[in-house]
Amino acid sequence: MMQLLELLPMTILGAILGLDVVSFPQAMISRPIVAATLAGSLMGEPLRGLIAGVTLELFALETLPFGASRYPEWGSAAVVGGAIFAGQRETTAGALTVAVFAALVTASVSGWSMIQHRKVLGRWGGGMRELLARGSSSAVTRLQIGGLTLDLLRGALMTFVALAVFGPLSRNLLNTWTFTNGQSRAFVVALAGAVGAGAVWKVVHTTSGARWYLLGGLAVGALMLVSRS
Amino acid sequence: MAVALYRIDDRLIHGQVIVGWGQPLSLSFIVLVDDAVAASDWEQDLYRAGVPPEMEVTFESVASAVSKMASYESRADKGIVLTGDIDTMLRLVEATAHAIHHVNLGGIHHRAGRAPRLRYVFLAPDEEAALRTLSDAGVVVCAQDVPAATPVPLTAVLAGSGA
Amino acid sequence: MTTPPKLPLLTRLSMLLRLLAVQGSWNYEMMMGNGIAFAVEPALRLLPGGKNGDAYRAALARQGGYFNAHPYLAGVAVGALASAELSGEPPDRIERFRTACCGPLGSVGDRLIWAGWLPACSVAAMLAFGLGASPVVAVLLFLGVYNAGHLTLRVWGLRVGYRDGLRVASALAHPALRCGPAHVARAAALIAGIALPLAVRGIVGPAREKLAVVMGLAALGAFVLARLQGRVEGWRVAMGLLAAFILFSVVR
Repeated sequence: MMQLLELLPMTILGAILGLDVVSFPQAMISRPIVAATLAGSLMGEPLRGLIAGVTLELFALETLPFGASRYPEWGSAAVVGGAIFAGQRETTAGALTVAVFAALVTASVSGWSMIQHRKVLGRWGGGMRELLARGSSSAVTRLQIGGLTLDLLRGALMTFVALAVFGPLSRNLLNTWTFTNGQSRAFVVALAGAVGAGAVWKVVHTTSGARWYLLGGLAVGALMLVSRS
Repeated sequence: MAVALYRIDDRLIHGQVIVGWGQPLSLSFIVLVDDAVAASDWEQDLYRAGVPPEMEVTFESVASAVSKMASYESRADKGIVLTGDIDTMLRLVEATAHAIHHVNLGGIHHRAGRAPRLRYVFLAPDEEAALRTLSDAGVVVCAQDVPAATPVPLTAVLAGSGA
Repeated sequence: MTTPPKLPLLTRLSMLLRLLAVQGSWNYEMMMGNGIAFAVEPALRLLPGGKNGDAYRAALARQGGYFNAHPYLAGVAVGALASAELSGEPPDRIERFRTACCGPLGSVGDRLIWAGWLPACSVAAMLAFGLGASPVVAVLLFLGVYNAGHLTLRVWGLRVGYRDGLRVASALAHPALRCGPAHVARAAALIAGIALPLAVRGIVGPAREKLAVVMGLAALGAFVLARLQGRVEGWRVAMGLLAAFILFSVVR
């Protein structure tokens, strides 16, 4: 269960990973498979973080971060999802379902916050237009550093608010949960699998021959599944 | 209809076009209509470098595009016609005797004299007038950067009330 | 026009480091324009008159205008623009190059990275998880492999951009960039095919006895989403369905 003391390192993590999504250094430490695992590790539960991370990664496969288009922000969101799931016991029914829902909502709101960040920077840039047009290196640097700082704060704020809201909310929801652990997990995993597989199809189907590679891979995967069960 | 999209985008060929629209619509050809690019080999080389090998790209001036429009529309595969500005699209619509019924505003970005209308559409007064001319001629103009985004009708774009 | 000078190591390192933050002030007016100016600035100090000289200021102002490209390939533009400025290319030719290289650098990068390398590395890490790799191994595998490609592309882009200047289109026609995305996409498809069932098995946990049902529902959902692609976003649909499921669970 998330304590206030755990909120600070989690907020710092969310800030750094939120920054990685677009601004710096885009090393994809913000991908859910990394971000949620790091959040789980901070809670002392790296494996539970990874499970949440893989689930969210399946959703994230669908949204390619084309520069100017609108897309969810997975860095801070996966920290939230990973922390919420890692804060629950394995036997708690609905934990992954609620954690994934919290992460998806956070990703959506945080995606919106990225747009606001870009609008603010546009206004800053507009205010500095004369200096920039005169080739002022200090104006260029100020705008760049200001943007990075603001993005760091944006990620911190998103993570803090999301954890402050979804931490207690998830506990309340899970206290009154009525589906079994198996039913709850089956529902969220089926959704993640559907979105992930649909995303892979979307990405590869226009490449000649790729659909056969996908089908071949699925056959191998299914065989491995059967042989390992 | 072989031409799945008539798009105005000042970035011309880029990721939103090739991947964003190209993959879901299974586009296999691009007609880039721009008088300056059609006359510049080195610019064509650059744009060609951005197109995957399985996709065909042709560079046309407005005049040459008009003469070939019927052949593009009768192709069995699907493609996109791109212009880098509103004026070129307007000339294309007028010269093809209004054979173009839908126009997609994919991106017109900031420049001195342009005012923000959507986060990816900035318009100068003469460009707004050109869009109204298109609309008055019966062309449905919608702004939409990628397929998953909600299309914004021209009236909302000009009012600055889109997404 | 003159041949551009060899860039000092510190200048190249400074440009490379700044390239990692090329989208730091990304906005809808200039997009990554200011980031390009920020990244090219160390090279502009070599212009006649040095830092804050007339040539430096004119060049920096030029480089801060609207620009967009894939961030990992922005180095190609930064290198080429630095080379063009230092070799005295006419400003109007530099402006035309800036306009023309935005799209191709975006398109190539989006296909190679966002639609190829990133999903390939992502599903490879999922495969490792599905095969029982520990969290440390899965995360390090993803970050190591992904960033080997990422950093190589950044370093190559800056180098080749500076070497070729405004003639960099020939470098972009390199077979690795022309045909690479298709090969990477096929590899991603193959790995994804193997990884998806194993990853689903890995996360299904307490619903293990329902695995066949989960797989069937996932396949059906994927089919529907593939049919609707471009019209709906699966993650949004999933968010709505999860909200309904949670609500039903707590109020019934």
